[in-house]
Amino acid sequence: MTFHDQVIAILPKLRVQALSLTRNRAAAEDLVQDAVCNALAAQNSFIPGTNFSAWMHRILRNRFISDLRKRRETTDIDDVPAANFASPATHEDSLALKDLSLALSRLPADQREALVMVVIQGMSYEALAEATDCAVGTAKSRVFRARRQLEAWMTGEMPSNDKLRVKVKALREAIDARHRDGKSADDLFLS
Amino acid sequence: MTGGDKSQSSSGKPKVEENDSPFGIWLSRGLHQLFDDVANEPIPDELLKLIEEDRNK
Repeated sequence: MTFHDQVIAILPKLRVQALSLTRNRAAAEDLVQDAVCNALAAQNSFIPGTNFSAWMHRILRNRFISDLRKRRETTDIDDVPAANFASPATHEDSLALKDLSLALSRLPADQREALVMVVIQGMSYEALAEATDCAVGTAKSRVFRARRQLEAWMTGEMPSNDKLRVKVKALREAIDARHRDGKSADDLFLS
Repeated sequence: MTGGDKSQSSSGKPKVEENDSPFGIWLSRGLHQLFDDVANEPIPDELLKLIEEDRNK
């Protein structure tokens, strides 16, 4: 398999990694394209026979971090619109899935990335460590902490300072109440 | 396809109880619902063209 064949073959996995990092489909597409450009420009630095997957995932990750640093000079990362993991509404029509999407968006990017690469891509901790340029123990810890935090949030343990989740819960309850009364809830989104 | 995902050892896999707990099963299903579509979408022509142009240099 040539270098370019390997780039094409790994694109679906890069997309998943990019979405896990950016939380936004459009941003993920841009990130994949930028990472591919970087990889093509640096193809001579790839040693054939070594781990192409890890090399490519590291390039995408480094590009994400580099872009983030540039953006942080002008914007606060918390100002970035939250989760847009699944754009087709029909696939996200259960409240639980929406809650999971929201909870994922609140995890640190490195934990979210680690969890997704292990669960969705079936990566071993060793492969994850190589792809994210960290120790195996760090990779394990990121996945563990992500699972533990999500379980705490999804089973109702709500940190007292978790203002976003409290706000969303209150909004959902208000919307449900309006719908029960047969009234529109559109104005609630304007406040 | 790629070397990284095949280098799994039994010690490198997540613990069975983490995956098989009710929450683990639910989480795995939820993540697949959120991410599988993205992985399965067709690759944009623009991106494929970029790669092919570089291949033909």
